[in-house]
Amino acid sequence: MKKKKIILSLIAIILFFSLLFILNSVFNSHQTRILRLCGIYVVLALSLNLINGFTGQFSLGTAGFMAIGAYTSAILTMPPAQKASAYYLEPIVPWLADIEMSFLPALIIAGLISALIGFIVAAPVLRLRDDYLAIATLGFSEIIRVVITNLQNITNGSLGLKGLPNYTNVWWSWGVAVVCIIFMALLINSSYGRALKAIREDEIAAEAMGINLFRNKLFAFTVSSFMAGVGGALLGHLMGTIDPLMFRFTLTYNILLIVVVGGIGSITGSVISGVIVTVAMEALRIVDGNIDLGFMVIKGIPGMRMVIFSILLMVIILFFRRGIMGTNEFSWKWILESKLFKKRKEVA
Amino acid sequence: MAILKTENITMKFGGITAVSDFTMELEKNKIIGLIGPNGAGKTTAFNVITGVYKPTSGHIFYNKENITGIKPHNITKLGIARTFQNIRLFKELSVLENVLIANHLRLKSNPFSAVVNTPNYVRQEKHMIEKSLALLEEVDLIDVKDEKSFSLPYGYQRRLEIARALATEPKVLLLDEPAAGMNPQESNQLMEFIIKIRDKFDLSIFMIEHHMQVVMGVCEKIYVLDHGITIAQGTPHEIQNNPRVIEAYLGVE
Repeated sequence: MKKKKIILSLIAIILFFSLLFILNSVFNSHQTRILRLCGIYVVLALSLNLINGFTGQFSLGTAGFMAIGAYTSAILTMPPAQKASAYYLEPIVPWLADIEMSFLPALIIAGLISALIGFIVAAPVLRLRDDYLAIATLGFSEIIRVVITNLQNITNGSLGLKGLPNYTNVWWSWGVAVVCIIFMALLINSSYGRALKAIREDEIAAEAMGINLFRNKLFAFTVSSFMAGVGGALLGHLMGTIDPLMFRFTLTYNILLIVVVGGIGSITGSVISGVIVTVAMEALRIVDGNIDLGFMVIKGIPGMRMVIFSILLMVIILFFRRGIMGTNEFSWKWILESKLFKKRKEVA
Repeated sequence: MAILKTENITMKFGGITAVSDFTMELEKNKIIGLIGPNGAGKTTAFNVITGVYKPTSGHIFYNKENITGIKPHNITKLGIARTFQNIRLFKELSVLENVLIANHLRLKSNPFSAVVNTPNYVRQEKHMIEKSLALLEEVDLIDVKDEKSFSLPYGYQRRLEIARALATEPKVLLLDEPAAGMNPQESNQLMEFIIKIRDKFDLSIFMIEHHMQVVMGVCEKIYVLDHGITIAQGTPHEIQNNPRVIEAYLGVE
């Protein structure tokens, strides 16, 4: 059974990448951009779901860690000549001026630095619970953004960084997403994943069962920060331009929306809703512009789609609290057994 | 020899003294009880022993080792497990997962070997599952192993809580009102069950209980708390005839 599952998973991954290859060649540049964005949002949703959905710690710091990842990777990959011209208000510090590396090491370092900051932030913050934790992480996320705005000689301050190498193609975006999905699935189904879920279900009981609350929360928070950092780096290299204003709270809100729609505590849910919400955000751009109904023209209000998304979030919280998947997961067993069930029916 | 001992534990919350000067001794393989009216400080005493609260003064010894002020998860690791008065199962998780989680503290691995499935981790995981299934067999919960724990009937939930505590491989088991909400027949079964697990797992048991039938039936020694003060201690027979206990429970004329 286990071997069978691995083979089925491998086939699914190969099929998925073939599909990506086809889509990549059929789609125009705008459509592939959305496709790439989907992969990034899947990574970010998994990051937030690990800490919020599986460990049950309400954290809202994703945007801050994305900013760290995006800036790290941007500074590490920009050619020295470009850095020299970009930092015109105040030159970049000498030890960063001549660094130029390829995307993979930059991506990993971006994740690691983000994880390190996450680790440091987590130590005091994780002593808090529920909404207090949310407020504290939100605050830290803003602090990170303010620090970035003011570190003129490292981050170029509020001017931001322009002309980042356009590395994030479909393969990078979805390659990282698939690695994250596999990592999460293996982690959550391991004994450590069960420990995290125990903390979500009942902290007091988990502690009485010998689970070190602080260490496990710290682990989840650090891994979540790593993934947020990598996601932020991918986003930076997709946009080509980053500035501190990009990483405001609204960005965390978008990711939270994906997690809630997909199901808090479901990897499958995060993946499905990561794609749906990202596509919907683009599709709903029409409501931001003028809508011509033939006999009359509805004047577009920029930002209207965010209103629609807010209403959607409210409807989901009021009526479909479990989201698309609840805490359920896709599994091969489920598919295989339902097929077996069908066969038995035919015999009968 | 006393496996668990407390010396003059006092627990104050602000101006309120929840437990004062509580001294008890649990001998190996014995079952002892803690009774008292509501709000007497019984659960607080449990919380102090299991490390949820650090006592204001006094000491706790486990196998002669001073364990005062140690964190709850480390106390469980040392071999003192507990259940809760108001059942605290991992509701959304299956019965098997509930027991597996209690095995986690004995796992010698790290998250990254777990993710890449190193042979060492796979072997331990397999051992954990076998052990948990055997335990569920032992407590007659094997038929419901894949049910979510909140969907179990009340009596099963109580039994699962005890099974989960047993999975941590304890030497001392603290039961907080295991018979709460049970009818006389269920209480009788529970008494048999408690004695059975004591013998099978080589346990020493300290229990809080309101059902006098259960307390008098299984406990060899009983401590009585009232307003945090130990008003009596002794065999069930002595307790039944102690005027101070009768006074605490029924009041005086």
